[in-house]
Amino acid sequence: MRLIRNIFRRKLRAFLTIFGISIGVFALLVMGALAEKLTLLVDGGMRYYEGKVVVTAPTQFAGLVSTPLKASLLREIEHVEGVARVSASVSALLDKEIPAVSMGNIPTIQAEDGRAKGYEKFVFGYTAGRELRNTDVGKVALGADLVKRLNGAVGGHVEIRGKRYEVVGIADKTLTAPDNAVMMTMEDARRIVHEDLPDAVRDSVDPNSIVSSFAVYLEEGERPEVVARRIERQVDNVEAMTPLDFERQVKQPLAIFTSIIYAVALVSLLVGGLSVVNTMTMSVAERTREIGVRKAIGASNAQIMGQFIAESAVIGLIGGLAGLVMGLLVTVAGNAAGEATGNALFLVTNRLVVGAVTFAVALGTLSGLYPAWHAASLNPVEALRYE
Amino acid sequence: MSEQAAHVVEALYGGEPQSQADGAYIIQTRDLTKRYQLGRNNFVDALRGATLDIRRGEMAAIMGPSGSGKSTFMHIAGCLDVADGGEVWLNGRRVDGLSARELVGIRRKEIGFIFQGFNLIPTLTAEENVALAGEYAGMGRGVALNRARELLEMVGLGDRTRHVPSELSGGQQQRVAIARALVNDPGIVMGDEPTGDLDTTTSEEIVGMMRTVNRERGTTFLIVTHNPEVASACDRTVRMRDGVVVDDGDGTPPGP
Repeated sequence: MRLIRNIFRRKLRAFLTIFGISIGVFALLVMGALAEKLTLLVDGGMRYYEGKVVVTAPTQFAGLVSTPLKASLLREIEHVEGVARVSASVSALLDKEIPAVSMGNIPTIQAEDGRAKGYEKFVFGYTAGRELRNTDVGKVALGADLVKRLNGAVGGHVEIRGKRYEVVGIADKTLTAPDNAVMMTMEDARRIVHEDLPDAVRDSVDPNSIVSSFAVYLEEGERPEVVARRIERQVDNVEAMTPLDFERQVKQPLAIFTSIIYAVALVSLLVGGLSVVNTMTMSVAERTREIGVRKAIGASNAQIMGQFIAESAVIGLIGGLAGLVMGLLVTVAGNAAGEATGNALFLVTNRLVVGAVTFAVALGTLSGLYPAWHAASLNPVEALRYE
Repeated sequence: MSEQAAHVVEALYGGEPQSQADGAYIIQTRDLTKRYQLGRNNFVDALRGATLDIRRGEMAAIMGPSGSGKSTFMHIAGCLDVADGGEVWLNGRRVDGLSARELVGIRRKEIGFIFQGFNLIPTLTAEENVALAGEYAGMGRGVALNRARELLEMVGLGDRTRHVPSELSGGQQQRVAIARALVNDPGIVMGDEPTGDLDTTTSEEIVGMMRTVNRERGTTFLIVTHNPEVASACDRTVRMRDGVVVDDGDGTPPGP
């Protein structure tokens, strides 16, 4: 309490200093929450790609927007040495137009032939209703994040690309791609993909043979990289993506991106730290005489130093907590707004919260070191004489 | 001091004046010199061989014109500053040459200070100001606050313990400072112009209070002052000029 009274001796100055720190913590929290969300998405992708090879048409990214492959390739790939099982899937964008700016997962339509069962390790349950079956033509299961956007409920209907589908299930939240997917039958999905094809090629493609990607499950002991190379060698005109490729394409750029995000936030926090140095230096100068009195009545250098460091650490703490509250308000509000479109931008993790506040306190403490040392080293007689 | 306050003093200090068994002098100084550097080739010799003994239990005033070295003498005798030359003995122990850390320890336990201009910490209440000196000396916060309240009661501020300095008059603030100087039960209290900012009536009241504490519990007082009335209330008046003691007020030369 005595500390707080000292800090708020100059109310405006204390407020501005604390505000400076809180803006830094706010930036760190909001930017960090963005980075945490992206990291989570990418980790989800890593989990999905783990232990298998994904075959797509060349130069496509992650099988999401593919010119279609042919269903007949399935047998060809299954004959490659080291392949245990191949499953075909069809995917399309939920909306025909891709949003110009998008963070996180873009909502998609996903269909698969059911052959992955027993091989796929990335499985999830259903919050309501049931899993979609191959025979469920005209029906869909919804990813957790799309429920609100499509206004879907088990037994009810949702409209997708101008057609009504019955909802049979709602998937558990996975914190990655399936949350933003509408799962439908191969038949329904193929019709949508076929309609999306450019006019020039549409007539030459058989809708019943459209495949966007194949998931290739490996025999025990096979390495994804080796099998992927075999597939590319033996099957014409396909690209085989391994977990390592995914890591190279997505994880490393993300690491750079998150470093930049954090660097920007830290710079703003450092500026806040400098304002603490300034405030504490002023405060020591103003209280020179008081420091003299404290020393005369028995304060040791360590006690004086401790007092000023503690004040500056508390400034950091208050600023950190204020920034935390501001950041939480913005991220919660942002996610609430994003939920309507199935796009929650921010993920506030415990380590982020603890890290941001700890950093603010550490910065406050560090900023107080020099002013505190200066205060402690004042000669008591000169300090007492100071006007 | 009121009857009641006197009773508190009795309770606090057991009514026993401080023992004189460990020597008649609480402070002895020999040939103290101190030079201050103001500019590159600009020195001031604040002390040029000051020698003075302070008897245990007495109340002594130091007078002298500005620049006579009286404040410097008090700071050195009070272990706030160190001399360039000479000897300082406190309670029979030689203290010149001790480290800054050791001097802090001595200030905490053996010396109390009262300054001009009511040097209380503005953000602390009266009782917190008094307790602070106790806490610095290692007293627990609760113990220090209890003792602070007893001392504030003694100086007649029992109803002002929770007031901050800005809510107190000059005289009340200086009474808080007296209580603060006494919290660690030091053998000597040093006052540097303690009545300098007070009007005549309040000044008399403060001197009277110091006199009472001196009489009732035997605390030695050494008071630097410009005010002849303050000096006349003391047992003797030491006069300094140009950095030396020109009259120790005893008519006898100090020292052996």
